[in-house]
Amino acid sequence: MRISLSWLSEYVTLPPAEELARRLTAAGLEVEAVERVGAALDGVVTARIVSAEKHPQADKLTVTQVDAGAGPVQVVCGATNWKVGDLVPLATPGASLPNGQRIERTRLRGVESHGMLCSARELGLSEESSGLLLLPAGAAAGVPLAEALGLADTVLEVNVTPNRPDALSHVGVAREVAALLGSPLKLPAPRLVQKQPAASSLLGVRIDAPERCFRYAARVVESVRIGPSPQWLARRLEACGVRSISNVVDATNFVLLEWGHPLHAFDLDKVAGAEIVVRLARPGEKLVTLDGQDRDLSSDDLVIADRDRASALAGVMGGADSEISAGTTRVLLESAWFEPTGIRRTARRHGLHSEASHRFERGVDPGGVTVALDRCAALIGELAGGTVRKGMADAYPRRRRPVDVPLSWSRPGDVLGMPVSRGEVRRTLAAFGFEERKATPRGAVFRVPSWRLDVAREEDLIEEIVRLKGYDAIPETLPGIAGKTPAVPREAQVAERLRLALEGAGFAEAVNFSFVAPADLAALAPAGGATGIALRNPISAELAVMRTSLVPSLLKNAVHNLRQRVEDVRLYELASVYQRQSPGADGDLPAHEELRVAGVMLGRRHAPGWATGGDPVDFFDLKAALEGVLESLGIDGVRFSHASEPWLHPRSAAAISCGSSRGEARLLGSAGEVHPRTAAAFELPRGVLAFELSFAELSSAARLVPGHVEVPRLPAVLRDLAVVVADEVEAVRVLDLVREEALAEEVSLFDVYRGAPIPAGKKNLAMSIRYRAGDRTLTDAEADEAQARIVARLKSAVGAELRV
Amino acid sequence: MPDLVRELEALAEGARQSVAAAGDERALEDLRVRYLGKKGEISAVLRGMGQLAPEERPKVGEVANRVRDEVESLLGKARERLESEKLERELRGAPIDVTLPGRRLLPRGHRHPVTRATEEIVGIFGRLGYEVAAGPEIELDWYNFEALNIPKDHPARDMQDTFYVDEASLAPSTGEGSILLRTHTSPIQIRAMKRAGAPPVRVVAPGRVYRSDYDQTHSPMFHQVEGFCVGPGITFSDLKGTLAAFARAFFGPQTRTRFRPSYFPFVEPGAEADVSCSLCGGSGRRDGVRCGTCKGSGWLEVLGSGMVHPKVLENVGFDPREVTGFAFGMGVERMAMLKYGIGDLRLFYENDLRFLEQF
Repeated sequence: MRISLSWLSEYVTLPPAEELARRLTAAGLEVEAVERVGAALDGVVTARIVSAEKHPQADKLTVTQVDAGAGPVQVVCGATNWKVGDLVPLATPGASLPNGQRIERTRLRGVESHGMLCSARELGLSEESSGLLLLPAGAAAGVPLAEALGLADTVLEVNVTPNRPDALSHVGVAREVAALLGSPLKLPAPRLVQKQPAASSLLGVRIDAPERCFRYAARVVESVRIGPSPQWLARRLEACGVRSISNVVDATNFVLLEWGHPLHAFDLDKVAGAEIVVRLARPGEKLVTLDGQDRDLSSDDLVIADRDRASALAGVMGGADSEISAGTTRVLLESAWFEPTGIRRTARRHGLHSEASHRFERGVDPGGVTVALDRCAALIGELAGGTVRKGMADAYPRRRRPVDVPLSWSRPGDVLGMPVSRGEVRRTLAAFGFEERKATPRGAVFRVPSWRLDVAREEDLIEEIVRLKGYDAIPETLPGIAGKTPAVPREAQVAERLRLALEGAGFAEAVNFSFVAPADLAALAPAGGATGIALRNPISAELAVMRTSLVPSLLKNAVHNLRQRVEDVRLYELASVYQRQSPGADGDLPAHEELRVAGVMLGRRHAPGWATGGDPVDFFDLKAALEGVLESLGIDGVRFSHASEPWLHPRSAAAISCGSSRGEARLLGSAGEVHPRTAAAFELPRGVLAFELSFAELSSAARLVPGHVEVPRLPAVLRDLAVVVADEVEAVRVLDLVREEALAEEVSLFDVYRGAPIPAGKKNLAMSIRYRAGDRTLTDAEADEAQARIVARLKSAVGAELRV
Repeated sequence: MPDLVRELEALAEGARQSVAAAGDERALEDLRVRYLGKKGEISAVLRGMGQLAPEERPKVGEVANRVRDEVESLLGKARERLESEKLERELRGAPIDVTLPGRRLLPRGHRHPVTRATEEIVGIFGRLGYEVAAGPEIELDWYNFEALNIPKDHPARDMQDTFYVDEASLAPSTGEGSILLRTHTSPIQIRAMKRAGAPPVRVVAPGRVYRSDYDQTHSPMFHQVEGFCVGPGITFSDLKGTLAAFARAFFGPQTRTRFRPSYFPFVEPGAEADVSCSLCGGSGRRDGVRCGTCKGSGWLEVLGSGMVHPKVLENVGFDPREVTGFAFGMGVERMAMLKYGIGDLRLFYENDLRFLEQF
């Protein structure tokens, strides 16, 4: 809301603009900007042309002596539309004109010129002009032009929160200023001259939808001459950002900005049957609004209709047919109180946000319906020479009751945390227009002023007290709640370890939008699958469905980095994915949200350097990272098994699981090389590695408190073992068979070899086995026996041949 | 007899000279074999003992042992000397180039600045006794709006442009317009208070939130931290003290806070909390020019807050005559931008490693 201080100062005495802005902000009417209107004309003053002579060197120039209040000044001028004695604008040296021109003392064809005499166009006051701007001759010389033209003003840009529609007007802000500064308030009182016949004999008014319109009052002004508004009115509207249209329309807008009450003027001759009906739109009804739009009305739209059809969208926008036009002579002036939520629905339905709907949907002052109507009628009478007919055509089916709010004297202090005296409560509420009704030793009932629709309960009154008092007056304390030390939830502990481990493995954390393009999800599951939850009003098709996997976002991040020539990428994200809720799930949770951790890895194994190689990462780099992560979570019995996952390369895809305490395997997620087709869909090269794990599974499998196992004190015996097995025998099968030997404490695979002299289709696995007995020192002979048992077991189970 | 003794003495003298002359390990080893080996010179002398009279043998044996001991000791010392000289030479050698880069196998990992800021904020409230809570991001209208005193068709809904879920894409239909992406973390207030069942409740709740607004300074997804404290006798002064303590912990001990009345439908009275500008220290000027971060005001708007609205308490089954409380919320990206000096909101979601590596 733009508030003109020259306008506001008619109602209340104002402190300097900066101080006013500070006080209003501290009271909850945040002033976002203080703007000086007319600042563009700084350095331009009024000057009288005292004498003139031809320029000695140039035919088209004149050398003038002008008086700008401090004696004659010489200025060279090219215009010819003036005569000696005229008052014109002089831009003095140092001034910057609105068109960007900077004025300096200069010589024109050898003659000194101390400034420039200006046209209206040069001053940004009109689009076109011929010659100098001639000012009213009676005015004084040496006055700043902005002041002489009545342009000098300061405008406050006030951010009015939705609960304070009363402050969407100059009168409303004036009330606030008067209360804050303790100054008297002078409100405009219209001098309304009314003549017979009565308005009610010229117009009928009926409300058919009383739940949507509490009151509809109308006046009639006849013999109106539509014309332009006087300068003062046009300037006021312009200062508030409203374009001047015609005297009658401007009068309604002026009252809107003054009282905050939207009014509408109809051409009474175009109101069929001289009858106004406030009703809901009929099925299939149409209306062309003032903006020229042809609108299909909904049966929830409230309309102002005449005998035959809808002629305005109530409280939102007028209709084109009944619009005030140059030929209008009889004006129907409407002032009403519409139900806010209905106005809001209509405004949204039609995508129409008007000054009127903005105020009606927040709630206008029900006590201001007739005040605004009278003010506007008087103004039209004054500006357009109309005759105001006597009285109103007024439909007011249900009287509105004033709101009374009880307040206990102790409550303000209890809520604010500091003593607030009864006297302070009374003074504050009185200043804001609240009327004390019944007082008892415990408290009082306050009647809320009709314009304060936001006040309904005790807490609202307390806010009034603190608005005047200022929050600075309240002390700082800490809650006196008995301290219960909250435990760090298990999930938070797991998350922290998970992050540390991933970061230790060189991964940087990514944060991506939760919504992706449907095509991103499709690229992960080309054969189709569960589709994501879609948004009804997405920002764009790229951000239209809630992701069911974190992987697509990370693949996009990888592409982004590659394009920035960042070639070694390790990124992870810990975030939710979203799926439809399974039937029978908690109705309080509309969707299934599941935390996952996912990552992407590509580029070189080690940071390239003089001492490290630059080999590309492969599956086993990812596996090592994940093994480290799982180990740091204390998860035992981790297994990687070959699996098929639509977005992973069929040859390089693993399911990751772990044994649970009850023995059954628990699936944690999957990892591998991204499927070449998926990679291509994201414009990634081949060889990108990725994983995705369920956070819930990780969390429940994690062992956060380590359990100590006795450090072995008896010596171990080490033996190497090399066996040849068929290529398709998985390493884990061989290692598991080795582990079946009771004396084998640990086995580590240190070589896998294919090629001569190993026969084709076979591979050699070399491992180192550590044997130890818990209760005695193991002898070499016992270790040899154990190794022989392993060889026999491998031979019978997987056909392994001992390699000698 | 005297011959053998003399022979041994001569042998010892020869050994002294040759050991002193030996220049390397290998020469020493040759000398050891020559004198002390099984076929060495001392053994050869001793083999001659067979011809001696029995009473002379101990004497010669004694001399032989002394000579052997001496030679062994000489060799030992010479070896030590040689090793020491070798070490000295090594120590005096050309130094390695310590300026060559370290042998780095893996890059350092990084935590996203939003996570860092969230963890710091949540940690501060954790130390103040707040429990961490979470709630769904796909939320029911009731929790996101209605229960927070933002009824349908209320202009306060304009303060938050809402993403609605296409309910045809959800399995159980729940009615048009009732499922949305939460626009703030405030619905967690409702869920946490309902879950707790009874006051006191002190909760801090971080999370992703969504608003249908996308330009240079707005992101359709961002992060908030919500916090609230509800119990008997909680006052606005407690809110002031808590947020002032938080601001000092997060922005530094010299940070000041200021409260201005503002409007959030779920609090009454409501307040915007400003903190003194962390970049110019609240002076509004930096290096003689207007501070761009606080636009010269010396203050930064960072928190919305207020006393929990009685309707909200009623909605979770608490009696507003028995308990009061305060609530506050802040944007994590904004806090991170101020704390780390990040100028562009979009950097948070690009996941460019050159950005992430700075954290």
